[in-house]
Amino acid sequence: MDQLQLRAFENRCIQEELPFCTAACPIHVDVRAFMAGLAEGNLREARKVLDRTMPFPEIVGRLCDEPCRPFCKRGEIGDPLAISMLERACVGMTAPVLKLPKLPAKGGTVAVVGGGLSGMTAALDLGRKGRKVTLVTAAEGLGGSLRSLPETMLPREAFPQAAALLEGYGVTLMLAADLTVERIADLIATHDAVYFDRDEIGPQLVPQAAAQPDPLTLALPAEGGFAGGGLGEDSSSFSVIKQVEDGRRAALTIERYLQKVSLTAQRDKEGVCTTRMHTVITGMASSAVLIPADPALGYTTAEAQQEAGRCIRCECLECVKQCVYLQEYKEYPKTLVRKIYNNQAIVQGTRNANRMINSCSLCGQCTVICPHDIPVPELCRTTRQDMVRNGHMPPSAHDFALEDMHFSLSESCTLARHQPGTSASRFLFYPGCQLAGSSPETVVRTYRFLAGRLQGGVGLMLGCCGIPARWAGQEPLFAETMDRFKADIARLGNPTLITACSSCLSIFDEFCSEAEIVSLWEMLDSLELPTGKTQAPGETLTLHDPCTARHQETLRLSVRSICGKLGMHIVEHDCNGPLADCCGYGGLMQFANPQLGGKAAGMKAGRSEHAGLAYCAMCRDNLAASGHRVAHLLDYIFPVADGQNPLARSNPGFSRRHENRARLKQDLLNSLWPEAAVLQPEHRQITLLISREVLDLLNSRHILEEDVQKVIHQANQTGRYLVNPGNGHQLAGFKPVRVTYWVEFEPTSRGYVIHNAYSHRMLLPEVGQ
Amino acid sequence: MSGYSFIEATPWQCAGCRLPLTPTTVSLTYLNSVFNVELMACPRCGMLLVPESLAAGRMLEVEQLLEDK
Repeated sequence: MDQLQLRAFENRCIQEELPFCTAACPIHVDVRAFMAGLAEGNLREARKVLDRTMPFPEIVGRLCDEPCRPFCKRGEIGDPLAISMLERACVGMTAPVLKLPKLPAKGGTVAVVGGGLSGMTAALDLGRKGRKVTLVTAAEGLGGSLRSLPETMLPREAFPQAAALLEGYGVTLMLAADLTVERIADLIATHDAVYFDRDEIGPQLVPQAAAQPDPLTLALPAEGGFAGGGLGEDSSSFSVIKQVEDGRRAALTIERYLQKVSLTAQRDKEGVCTTRMHTVITGMASSAVLIPADPALGYTTAEAQQEAGRCIRCECLECVKQCVYLQEYKEYPKTLVRKIYNNQAIVQGTRNANRMINSCSLCGQCTVICPHDIPVPELCRTTRQDMVRNGHMPPSAHDFALEDMHFSLSESCTLARHQPGTSASRFLFYPGCQLAGSSPETVVRTYRFLAGRLQGGVGLMLGCCGIPARWAGQEPLFAETMDRFKADIARLGNPTLITACSSCLSIFDEFCSEAEIVSLWEMLDSLELPTGKTQAPGETLTLHDPCTARHQETLRLSVRSICGKLGMHIVEHDCNGPLADCCGYGGLMQFANPQLGGKAAGMKAGRSEHAGLAYCAMCRDNLAASGHRVAHLLDYIFPVADGQNPLARSNPGFSRRHENRARLKQDLLNSLWPEAAVLQPEHRQITLLISREVLDLLNSRHILEEDVQKVIHQANQTGRYLVNPGNGHQLAGFKPVRVTYWVEFEPTSRGYVIHNAYSHRMLLPEVGQ
Repeated sequence: MSGYSFIEATPWQCAGCRLPLTPTTVSLTYLNSVFNVELMACPRCGMLLVPESLAAGRMLEVEQLLEDK
């Protein structure tokens, strides 16, 4: 990712866009933060927000004509907030909190002619910037036309206070000046820039100011002359905030003029601007504006707090609201991409975001939700590719999952055969590695059903589509897996694939477009389902679409149609279909970040209070592992003879899943293709006796029972192990591939009792090297 | 983690040599880093003990640190 790509990505995330009120405010007061302060009863914090942006909050806070109010999002569900009344209440109840710093004095002299609010603002802004400013007015004091306002609207001390503030920033005030045409000509001659506040200075006094200033810069045609303030262009309305805007705009122009830089570049965000902010108000209750008990006095503290509490605090965060990953890392896409970019830029030092990059499930929910289709998953996946390419991918992140994939693709598990007794296949059933691992019996029953119903031969293929390699950023490995898959189906005569797994389907759709593919669900929906044996559950189930079926609409419809045919009562929750959550397996989240994987499963299962129905084997097992009752749809189409409740089936765990795949191949060969038996390696003969607690420990530590068998086998072969004479336990370590496993075991007549197992990746000089 | 000592009294003995374990200095390596640490080992054949507390504790921390370097 380069700087340009970073910017383009950041620009698509709108969380940091201005809220509607701020965008509609000519000086961009952070109304949202102001409301937050008030609503929390923190008046100082609210006042600080005003002090930061408003010149003379004592005046502007009391008089602002709130052009922002019609844009308040709250107005779409009730009344917009009483923004101006709240500002008035705040400045009435607080003293100034924040005093903005004065920059060191710089050259350049500026005369401000006219002491209205726009002149005052220009003088203040330029004074703060260190310019030498002289404000000249014929009036007795500051304020221009505001001086005529009644005391109830504006306390009389506001103007002397403003004068003191200006003098504090080094502005020279010349009040009650004799402003003649000659005097003004003299000011023009002796200053680098002159601003005319048209609230006080008319064209009869200053012929130069008769021309319309440029609307963007407020520069007059005459060199060094600037003008603003007074009535609007249509000369009908006097807006207080417009005075402030003009003064501020002119001050910025004059500052640029004195610096001799462009007066016009990059000023599109100044003043009232558009915003791309996206705030969803669905489900929010409508509310009416709070009328103060005494309208003449305005809001009390308590009333202000209550009214400000109606603020929605407009933001987007639509993706974060649903995504367990973004919530966990407290990021939204814009901040996430920045962290990823910085992580990738590190040459020497710790790459703190590695785990974050590897924790995204790549499910794509955020992209569907985002009004700008922000591609967070693609960003995370391609970053992983870069990490692998550059040698910066932490080996422990995906090793276990990739070893599991290797095993699924090994001789122990793979199979690609025509239907027994045939030499050609019109169809090829591809159950996928996870259904084979979760419920091998279901694979057999489904295959027997398809082989019995479909004409032209139904072959069977066991393997793995390679999606773990793709998720892990291991492109060469993924490409190699796809090539092998294509060669295998070509060898079987390119039959129509029937895939049970949505992940396999998504991979084949994208990378094997030459193959004809149909999902198992569409196929089953087109066939007459087995009768008699099928049994609908006696309760309502909530259907959980897998994240990889997000874009597989016809498949999802077939699943629902099948549920209907089985007489099942199904309910949907909000995060289903295109918005489906990941169960924690996607993107190998649960391997790179097991804790987060658990949270993801819990969140998905918790979307409904009903027991679940999944049709992805990983969803089924992960949701079950999170302690929820969940069944697989095939459990109801092809129920087992023992009548066990499919909702009660526990998570098989990594070891069992591993073994199930190998056993599936064995059983299929024995029953359907008896000609080819595979020799089991010697260590597989070792009988293990493992308690539930130790099994859970192995599972959480990513240690397979086969690894345990290998350690014991190695200890027996070499005689190298430790012994504890106190209890007769033995302890041995062995490194089959990259990880060293240590197992504490106890030989008995029935087999080896396993007491403990742990592992490390650091290499020892002695053990198994 | 170089220079660290993980010496502790242990009931484990070398099964082959029938000897109690004694402290020894060994080199552990991971991702191009080498650490000289003291571990318990068989004084005769060098059979090492990596206790669970070390594997799941300091060793894991260092592994993860190195993986993010």
